[in-house]
Amino acid sequence: MGLFQKISQGREFLEEIFKILYYYRGRVVFSFAGVALGILSICIIITTIEGANKKAKEVFEALGPDSIMVFGGGERQRAARTRISTLTFRDADALQRIEGIYDLTKVYQVRNVTMRYREKKWQTNVIGATTNYFESFSWGFQVGSVFTGDDYDHAEAVCVIGSKVYNELFSGEDALGKTILVGKLPAKVIGVLQERGGAAAGPNIDDRVIMPLTTVMSRITNEKKYLGSIRLKTNRDPDRTVEDVRTVLRTNHGLQGTSEDDFTIRSSKDILKFVTVISGQLFLFLGLASIVALVVSGFVLANLFYLTIQERRKDIGIRRAYGASRKGILLSFLFESVLITLMGGVAGILLSVVLGGTFEKLFDIPMLFTYKVIVFAMTFSFLTGLLSGLRPALRASRIEPIEAIRG
Amino acid sequence: MITLRNIRKSYFVGERELPILKGINLDIRQGELVILMGVSGSGKTTLMNIVGLLDKQTAGEYQFMGSAVDGLDDETLASMRNMHIGFVFQQFFLLPYLNAIENVLIPIVYSAKQIKHPRDKARQLLARFGLAERIHNKPSQLSGGEQQRVAIARALINDPDLILADEPTGALDSRTGSEIMDLFQVLNEEGKTIIVVTHDPKLTSFGTRLIRIEDGTISEDITR
Repeated sequence: MGLFQKISQGREFLEEIFKILYYYRGRVVFSFAGVALGILSICIIITTIEGANKKAKEVFEALGPDSIMVFGGGERQRAARTRISTLTFRDADALQRIEGIYDLTKVYQVRNVTMRYREKKWQTNVIGATTNYFESFSWGFQVGSVFTGDDYDHAEAVCVIGSKVYNELFSGEDALGKTILVGKLPAKVIGVLQERGGAAAGPNIDDRVIMPLTTVMSRITNEKKYLGSIRLKTNRDPDRTVEDVRTVLRTNHGLQGTSEDDFTIRSSKDILKFVTVISGQLFLFLGLASIVALVVSGFVLANLFYLTIQERRKDIGIRRAYGASRKGILLSFLFESVLITLMGGVAGILLSVVLGGTFEKLFDIPMLFTYKVIVFAMTFSFLTGLLSGLRPALRASRIEPIEAIRG
Repeated sequence: MITLRNIRKSYFVGERELPILKGINLDIRQGELVILMGVSGSGKTTLMNIVGLLDKQTAGEYQFMGSAVDGLDDETLASMRNMHIGFVFQQFFLLPYLNAIENVLIPIVYSAKQIKHPRDKARQLLARFGLAERIHNKPSQLSGGEQQRVAIARALINDPDLILADEPTGALDSRTGSEIMDLFQVLNEEGKTIIVVTHDPKLTSFGTRLIRIEDGTISEDITR
């Protein structure tokens, strides 16, 4: 048999299948839509998880694998979202003396402060920090530079703004040396940070204003004693350093025996673990949901398909009389059902691209569309078509031509 | 071309045996136009199904084109039907979602034969049967006679050795019916072997040979 004949037979066959799909479009639309929705949710899940993983890695890299954060308030208070100030300058000095600590940043954050420049307004978080903050995060400047030890000691009203804040307030204009209102405090812009981007979910890294810790504490909040958090870098084993930090703080805070910590320690490792656990749970729940959606649409497909077999008995009888074997009928029916689900799969992928973009903008969820999505989605839709088409196709192949043709 | 020796066919209803064909002996030669006549229940359709490789006899021997077909598997039988036999049915059995020319092309999809330019051939067949203007019409847009002519074109597309027509005029008015029979006559004169199964006594005058079947046996066999 010539290759050309094979090809033209294949084309004839495909054309017929599409005409069949069109003729039975009522059934096809239901199955198609079901599969599309199932695949859509699978795609969204995978892109979200991929996005979360990428973000976790970025956070990990941004913080540095050797960094440790210490916050005021124990685990339980943090969980209840009540902020308790327990960390003091004395604590920071004590931590500084732990073996292996080569960098320590004191931080005091004030949330949702309104920035004003001329008629423009923008609400963001103000971070009071020590001068090593930028170096510690290896954060470069677009223009300007870090505040000096003098600015720090004298609690000068100077600020460094993140690229997001710059865009919102200045939108391309020169910002250096301009004065903005931070809450009620006029402060001079002395630097604009480079864009970090990438780390979407949660607060945008580029959306922040950084000022000397002393300025924030004395001129914005009037806090005299307590810090918000302390960031450490160690060149020893992070786990051992965490233990040392705990011991020092417990001693300083006079905590004895089994009384709970009134502070929280997070290493970079913890953060990575946290995000991994979150995305694992996400995968479990949403994954389960979308598998259910696919199974349901598979059943719908199988049942509607099964019902039409009766309607198509004559069709099958004719084809059998004209040379289709049982196997031929079986394969063409399977092909038909796989074709429906593959089309559903493609539609689901396309929908997820469209919706994924919207999701990303609306909810600030990071999404990463990779080849994995396509592989997963197409495999799942193929399997759905194959499994749900099997029973109807078997039934079709068992129809005897003489029974189908009779009367 | 066809040799049937002592062909028996029974259906079983529970324990009871229901004999349909009670020992048929028959030879059909190339170039014949056979009218196989019998009342309903006589076994004529069962005989046609066996001859057409759609059904298997309970006992007896069947040789088709010189070789025994007993015990052949589904795939081989399907391909033999495709290559050697063209079917025409009482209810036309055109597929509703395909237009006239696509219906004619159905056997091509399953064909191992080298049919050159099947589309052109289908067009020529339809044109020959007066359907040149109808090739893109769906079956629902065609009259009964037109549908049956499309079905005959479908039976011919693969150059079969034998055409089997089961009550081809049964769903048509008598004028259209005799037009279809005239068409078979012409095809037969061109050399096609054709078996027409019918209960209609009006068709007795057609064909080169008349076989009457009664109660599962051949009661009359006249070659003209």
